[in-house]
Amino acid sequence: MTLRWKYSRYFLIVIVAALFAAPILGTNPLSKPGLQQTLAVAFVFGALALTYDLLFGFTGLLSFGHALFFASGLYLTCIFINHSVFVWWIAIIASILLTSLLAFLVGAASLRTTGITFAMVTLAFGEAGHVIVNRNFFGLTGGENGIALNAELIPQIWVGVVNTKYLYWSALICLILTYLIIWWVTESSAGRVFAALRDNEMRVQVLGLNTRNFKLLSFVIAGALAGLLGSMMLLLAGSAAPRFAESNITIALLLMVILGGAVTRWGAVVGGIAYSFLTTRMQDLTQNGLFAGLPKYVSGPLSEPAFLLGIVFILVVMFAPGGLSGAYYKLRLRSISKKYSSSK
Amino acid sequence: MNALELADVSVRINQAQILHGVSFTAPKNQVTALLGRNGVGKSSTLKAIMSLYSPTGSIKLNGTELIGTPTHAIAASGVAYVPEDREIFATLSVKENLSLASRSKISSEKMSRVFEIFPDLSTRQEQRAGTLSGGQQQMLSLSRALLNDNQILLVDEPTKGLAPKLVTEVADALAEVAKRETMILVEQNLALVKRIAQKIVVMDQGKIIFEGAPEKLSDSVWVQSVLGVSNRGKHS
Amino acid sequence: MTITGIGLGALYFLVASGLTLIYGLMGVLNFAHGAFLSIGAFVGLWFATSIMKEATIPNFILAMIVGGLAAGFFALLMEQLLITRLYDRHIDQVLVTVGVALVVGAVLGGWFGNDLRLFPTPLWFLTGINFFGAIIPADRIIYIATAVALLIGNWALLRFTRIGLIIRAGVENRNMVNALGINVRRAFSTVFFLGGFAAGIGGVLVSVYSSGVSPLIAGTYLIYGFVVVVIGGMGSVTGSFVAAMLIGVIKQFANYYVTGLGDFVIALLLAGVLLVRPQGLFGKRIS
Repeated sequence: MTLRWKYSRYFLIVIVAALFAAPILGTNPLSKPGLQQTLAVAFVFGALALTYDLLFGFTGLLSFGHALFFASGLYLTCIFINHSVFVWWIAIIASILLTSLLAFLVGAASLRTTGITFAMVTLAFGEAGHVIVNRNFFGLTGGENGIALNAELIPQIWVGVVNTKYLYWSALICLILTYLIIWWVTESSAGRVFAALRDNEMRVQVLGLNTRNFKLLSFVIAGALAGLLGSMMLLLAGSAAPRFAESNITIALLLMVILGGAVTRWGAVVGGIAYSFLTTRMQDLTQNGLFAGLPKYVSGPLSEPAFLLGIVFILVVMFAPGGLSGAYYKLRLRSISKKYSSSK
Repeated sequence: MNALELADVSVRINQAQILHGVSFTAPKNQVTALLGRNGVGKSSTLKAIMSLYSPTGSIKLNGTELIGTPTHAIAASGVAYVPEDREIFATLSVKENLSLASRSKISSEKMSRVFEIFPDLSTRQEQRAGTLSGGQQQMLSLSRALLNDNQILLVDEPTKGLAPKLVTEVADALAEVAKRETMILVEQNLALVKRIAQKIVVMDQGKIIFEGAPEKLSDSVWVQSVLGVSNRGKHS
Repeated sequence: MTITGIGLGALYFLVASGLTLIYGLMGVLNFAHGAFLSIGAFVGLWFATSIMKEATIPNFILAMIVGGLAAGFFALLMEQLLITRLYDRHIDQVLVTVGVALVVGAVLGGWFGNDLRLFPTPLWFLTGINFFGAIIPADRIIYIATAVALLIGNWALLRFTRIGLIIRAGVENRNMVNALGINVRRAFSTVFFLGGFAAGIGGVLVSVYSSGVSPLIAGTYLIYGFVVVVIGGMGSVTGSFVAAMLIGVIKQFANYYVTGLGDFVIALLLAGVLLVRPQGLFGKRIS
């Protein structure tokens, strides 16, 4: 008897099917473009959180510069398309390849360090990336306001509010694709090495494996997928903006993964989707005056999403380090052992 | 009267069981030698007493339970620990190393007590401990234990890796100290053990296989074979 | 221009010194250090605007110290409530500091807004001093003086006091210090307090340099603090000082030739140093 609920695979298939069908199934909340857009963004972040989970939860690499690769995919795709360097789908592939190369270079340099130093180095690289897009290097990156995607150069199926559902479906497909790839990687023999690396690097070295190469592999895969998701984000947002390169994004990913549970795949996805969804809703509600009646001392912090997030984060880290999925499995364990002891 | 009593002490680290229900006693004002081949758990036993590992079972020092007490409190209550790799502070001077180890304010009287036993150190007071030779570092490590009034000394392989002349010096110093203190001594050098120990405890694979007087040890051929001892005496 | 760079370096040092000690002794990567900066800045601001009437130099120094103390006490509070509970869970300690940084940033932003508020500055700061023919803004002198004072104070503490001895030994081998009967945890608290104090003072000075107090400034300085600590060597205050000065000067020069080049160059420098000498300039060899 495993910890996984035996119907969980079917449950998952049903949910995914429902998510696919919803936009065209009569009038439900998901038939409106507003929610479709919100969820599409949430899907992208869920997938992004999963790529971060590969790094942090599975391989034990605490990187603070993951946003760099997300932004790389975002900006490169935009630049290629806008300047008619490639046709849109080649642009996407090219940006993924270039982002992988970037991940390889950054990883090769950063992985000469470990642990906390590694975290700081990746932070520095991430910030360098942020600076590059912010300062409009070579006139390509558009500075603080970013660059708007030239909508005429992409398939029209993705343009316009009425076509939001196509974006929604595309985002969902990206999420599923990412999930399948990462599932395949983590279940493969390389994936086993990643997990072993997280727990005890020395043991892996003693086995004669070059730990740095495996870490680099994990780093590049995560970076490449982040690049893909950057392209997806470009389609969703219609533009490339510097805020996607900020360390805040990476920190948000860290939060998502911790809240959802670092060691499980679905935990990271759920954490990402929930976080993204809730933050967007919070922002909408605040703008619509949810906290208007409260004194400034209370409403001020509450209207900043970071406040609640920070508090929840602290509480989770201190008292429930396994996150959502950790708590779920703990309950499962308890109910299973109860079943066993009562059936004696 | 027993200074230290271990009862059913077990230590588990990362899936590996290091100690399996270790029980023995160390009498007051005597030297109890802890013997065994490499890796059987002798150092781990000392570390468990110091709470550097987290043991289960019971460890009583003159009646007080040590398990559950944090390391610094155990040390402060009068347990001096001289670790296997000396672990002196390389970036601090000799004097600073001693000053740090002294539980009450360091005085010249205390220092002279140490320098009497280890004259080599008195000329090197301001020298950075990292630049001392192996033997001198060992002396410094031992000196730390001599600065305070202790209930018990835990000494782990003090002669390891030392040249024969230094082994004699350290052995002499230990013999001197042993006259007044209670000690648990982990050692591979059996001549030293024969010289100063009144009780022997032998370990193998995380368990105790012999506990008793040194004379009894020669009776047990099997235990001797575990230790790799023959009747050829080791250099003292 | 070199002096200006050194002035900037002094600011970076104020941030980095606390970070490097906290990391060296406790292995905690303190993301909340930026929050200490902000708290120091805001409390200093409150003190300067409500209690002091005039922006004179002694008043300013007082405000600086008050800000530092506030940040120091906050650091101590954070350590007692959160860090001690997570003993030896290093990654979790780092995560908790991230949480604190978020919360403090949100609270300050929520209460005071994110716009810059001018810090009452003594007029003398804005004058130019003639230094061997070049005109330097007087405030740079203050930064450098403060940084040097901190460096000397820190050195004196480590060398001449018992707690300094404990810290030095603890950075080298924490377990052995415990085994000698010394409660290293108390040393941790002291280090946290001092780190917070330095950061708080840094926060006040940074607000003067940046022409205003805002919760958003802390982030950039925190990142530079990290870079300084990595390049200088984790756990080495001297290393932080040297690295900070180096980085300040390089950034100033780089920005002079191409605006914005500074940040990029520093990132390259970081990569370079790590490729050649991963433990930083003064750090211990990573085994």
